[in-house]
Amino acid sequence: MTAAIALREVTKHFVDRQPAALLGVNLDVLPGTCTALLGPSGSGKSTVLRIIAGLENPSGGQVLLNGRDITSVLPEKRNVGLVFQRPLLFPHLSVVDNVAFADRAAGRSWRIARERALPYLDMVQLADLGRQRVGSLSGGQEQRVALARALAAQPTILLLDEPFSALDAELRHEMHELLADIRRQLAPTVVLVTHDRDEAATVADRIAVLENGQLLQHDTVDRLYHRPASIAVARLMGGENFINGVTVGGVHHSGLGSISVDESAPDGPGVLLFRHESLGVSAGHLLPLTGNRLHGSITGISRTGLRRRATVRINDEDIQAELPATLDVSGGDQLTVDLPSGILCVVPATSR
Amino acid sequence: MTITTRELVPALAIPPRRLPGDPGRPLTASRTGSRLGRVGLVVLLLGWFALPLLPLALWAFANQWSYPSPTPTEWGTDGLNSAITAGGIAAFGRSALLGVAVAAIATLIGAVAARALVAGWAPFPRLTTVLLFAPVAIPPFASILGTNVILLRAQVPSLLGLVMVLVVVALPYTTFTLRAAYAAHDMGYEEEARTLGASQAQVFWRIQIPLMAPALARAAFLAFLVGWSDYIVTLIVGGGQLVTVPIITASLAAGVGNDSVVAVLSLAAVIPPVALLMVLAQNGFRGRP
Repeated sequence: MTAAIALREVTKHFVDRQPAALLGVNLDVLPGTCTALLGPSGSGKSTVLRIIAGLENPSGGQVLLNGRDITSVLPEKRNVGLVFQRPLLFPHLSVVDNVAFADRAAGRSWRIARERALPYLDMVQLADLGRQRVGSLSGGQEQRVALARALAAQPTILLLDEPFSALDAELRHEMHELLADIRRQLAPTVVLVTHDRDEAATVADRIAVLENGQLLQHDTVDRLYHRPASIAVARLMGGENFINGVTVGGVHHSGLGSISVDESAPDGPGVLLFRHESLGVSAGHLLPLTGNRLHGSITGISRTGLRRRATVRINDEDIQAELPATLDVSGGDQLTVDLPSGILCVVPATSR
Repeated sequence: MTITTRELVPALAIPPRRLPGDPGRPLTASRTGSRLGRVGLVVLLLGWFALPLLPLALWAFANQWSYPSPTPTEWGTDGLNSAITAGGIAAFGRSALLGVAVAAIATLIGAVAARALVAGWAPFPRLTTVLLFAPVAIPPFASILGTNVILLRAQVPSLLGLVMVLVVVALPYTTFTLRAAYAAHDMGYEEEARTLGASQAQVFWRIQIPLMAPALARAAFLAFLVGWSDYIVTLIVGGGQLVTVPIITASLAAGVGNDSVVAVLSLAAVIPPVALLMVLAQNGFRGRP
């Protein structure tokens, strides 16, 4: 299947002699899917979006839209919709006229453009606010109108540049549901920029992780969490456990002990990675030590809302483990930790 | 210690202290004293602006006003008739056309210069800024006398030369007004419009012009004032051929016994700027909320 949007060795230098903002980025986004570009500030994720939209010219490489090279095509000729973090609704136009803007730019009359805009306003549940000035809208409503305006242009691909990051948690959740609803109805190809891995995992089918202008990994949400390609990816995905050791014949030897890992894990120095949320945790040392079961003791507990995370000392290593809500333990208590082989991953110690 | 209900009652009976921002105490609520102060200040300012116009208004309708009478000793429209006879209506038209021409050209050039300075397209931006600001800093006599010699040698028609010089005089006002506006202008609107399929021309007419309209109006107003009220440039570069309201007013003011006609012309000179100011104040002169 031809990718809806494909980047081939895309490089971007904003200032000569400065490090590249993007360096040899290759990315394929399949039609009808949602891909999240995830990375810290300055990683180049918004630059990728602006290059796809045509608002920045790449210093090198190609941008393909449905197999067609659009690298030097003007933004208005690309048929690519873009919603920014700020809604950027045109303040001199009413809500419906904002949504009708693309049709007006295409030469349609005001009457027809407004008629065609109404279903999109309805889609974002704001059909009754069409005549209002945009200044009277709330932040959430503004972002809905911005989404409707971009969709009304019937873009081949919809680009979302951190569109929900300025909204509070409740509004953000509503917008995630709205986006899911729009995806069910229109099946657009979406590329979303975010620095929030939870948001990326919530709305996207696949995540592309960027750091320092380089694409580190582009994979499904599950694989990024449980099979990160490098320590950097694991860290960016919120990983907490990095155990240095040596792998020999599918067994990782470290301060934790000898842990059976995937047989395809390369022999030699390697870092064992596993998610703190995926560990099996039970109180006491009652269960026998079989397989990848370890005994340890709690040296500290931190809390985030209802969630509790324990620092568990096992042999010579400290690991992080999320505690089940019903588990009644406190600092100094003994704990049994299970490491199912499906959650274990070893990356070379030299990987970034 | 046991706390009884009786002990709590007096504490609850104390009315809670209200702070700015509490319900019923908006931060912007006027207090009587400050409101009176503001009203007083407005009255004083209005008096400050209106006071010089009062003798003009009285003189405009005075056929005779002998000292020491506090009001005209004979009311009438001799001044108005004399102003019309002296060519006041034609001068009014010429001044208006001059103001409009200067406003149109200086606003256009100012907008281009401002955009170039803000976007970093202008070569040597600091030097360009100084040059654009120079007409305000240099005494008009020094520059205009020299410029006039060049215009005469180059055989530039006096009207064209006059407009050219007045545009240069107005440019600092338009450029710096619009530079501030362009610096605050969010290019994201234009980028968004382009991704929605708008060409660069459509972005200019449908996004940039409407969003910049209040600033363009402010700049055009200032440039209009330069053309409308100019005396010295019109006198020197125009060579006395172009009779505008300031020229005819100054000419009559130099004579004796023309108080009434001078008052009529002076009052007429005030009307267009004040009318424009009121129109702009009603239509987004201060920009959108």
